[in-house]
Amino acid sequence: MIRLENVSKEYSADSPALIDANAEIEKGEFVFLVGASGSGKSTFIRLLNREEKPTTGKVYVAGKDIVGLSSWKVPFLRRNIGCIFQDYRLLPKRTVAENVAFALEVIGRPKHVIEQQVPAILDLVGLSEKSHRLPDELSGGEQQRVSIARAFVNRPLILLADEPTGNLDPDTAVGIMRLLDRINRTGTTVVMATHDRGIVDTMRRRVIELSDGKIIRDQSGGQYR
Amino acid sequence: MIAKTRFLLAETGQNIWRNLALTLASVLVAAVSLALFGASQLVASAVENATQRWEGGIEFVVFMKADAEQSQLDAIEVLLEGSPEVDEWNFVTKEETFQEFTEFFADDAQLLDTISVETMPPSFRIRPADPDAGAVEALGSTFEAKPGVRTVVFATEVIREIQNNAEKISLVTLGTGALLIVASAIVILTTLSIAISSRRNEIEIMKLVGASNWFIRIPFMIEGMIQGIVGALLALPLLALARTYVIEDFSKSDNLRLLEGFQVSDGEFLFISLIVIAIGTAVATIGSIVAVSRYLDV
Repeated sequence: MIRLENVSKEYSADSPALIDANAEIEKGEFVFLVGASGSGKSTFIRLLNREEKPTTGKVYVAGKDIVGLSSWKVPFLRRNIGCIFQDYRLLPKRTVAENVAFALEVIGRPKHVIEQQVPAILDLVGLSEKSHRLPDELSGGEQQRVSIARAFVNRPLILLADEPTGNLDPDTAVGIMRLLDRINRTGTTVVMATHDRGIVDTMRRRVIELSDGKIIRDQSGGQYR
Repeated sequence: MIAKTRFLLAETGQNIWRNLALTLASVLVAAVSLALFGASQLVASAVENATQRWEGGIEFVVFMKADAEQSQLDAIEVLLEGSPEVDEWNFVTKEETFQEFTEFFADDAQLLDTISVETMPPSFRIRPADPDAGAVEALGSTFEAKPGVRTVVFATEVIREIQNNAEKISLVTLGTGALLIVASAIVILTTLSIAISSRRNEIEIMKLVGASNWFIRIPFMIEGMIQGIVGALLALPLLALARTYVIEDFSKSDNLRLLEGFQVSDGEFLFISLIVIAIGTAVATIGSIVAVSRYLDV
């Protein structure tokens, strides 16, 4: 599903963000990216949906080389990749349902599809009751659920999560991880960057550890360490 | 397709509504600049109409009677050929005069009904060797008493002054109009850049979930185009006012008999209006394209 071949990324010459990274992630895997701040986790994730291009090396997603992808095709790549972030990135003036519907509207899905899929996904993330609320009327955990609903409503092949529990208390974080686990079990590949030792140690999934831009560990069923 | 169109139009409407004050300013700048530009063309057109017969150094015209005989015309021709003071001349037939007249008063059906080829005076347009006013008048008046001549009309200083001043007025308005049109493009560009930056969160989400590049760009481009086109449409009534109250009043003034014919025909007005709309659209299109390619990094 995802393959990195000798990927390096330099924002400036003296401090590379990623150095000669090699990794292969199969369809349906759940992978934690761990490491200190600035170790290259976010860069790793941003390379996968072509928010960044590597300085050297190749990135394959779903069998396609996405480095050479022409810019008008990038949106079609991203329709297959859902993204969630530490700061949720919801639109504050739109309701929960509208935030989710937005993701379908802007890729031109017809109204009847939107009307059917939005309630279904809100039901899945457990927010049916709050579909007409605005984001700032929700708790952090609820807001993250909305952002997961938005990322997943289009049934992407891959879900990228950059510190999704970073702003949440441990109990709420566990709820979010259950949701991500459930999404993973539908066959969606999940790549999640995190600092959360508790979560990594409990879930026991594959762990890729980065340090100063280098992959220093790639272990299935691993711990945070 | 319908879903997409509806969404894009709703987005455009929302953009304009959120940015209303700035959009209005942008529309007004476009309207005023295009109106000024159009006005310069109106003045130029009117001057050309009023002074058409005086172009190319023609200093006086000998109008014959409508019923002048051929022998009388021939006599004048011989005189003109033989005179060393005449540099160049040309003969305008009844038919040509009628032609000019009908073109000129094309929008005045009532007037056209009363005239025919037969009632038109043929004329000689004369360019003297010496353009000095005194010499011209001396030469011209020698024709006044000839048989068959109705009247001799001189291009006076006044006409020359009108030609010069009108040219200046039209150049100044044209220059100001052109500068303002550039300003208008910049205002449209800025309005769009503000619209874009006020929606950067939405744009970021759109990119993230895979909205196509054109889907992101089009609402902003439509917004810019609307500003230019509405501006042009507002400029047209301003131009119509200028035509009625300034130019046509001029031509009716009793003190300015020489400005008779200082007016713009419906055809010319339509042509100028179309140019104004075309320029408004072009400026808005350029402004929009520059804005989305500069500020919308998709």
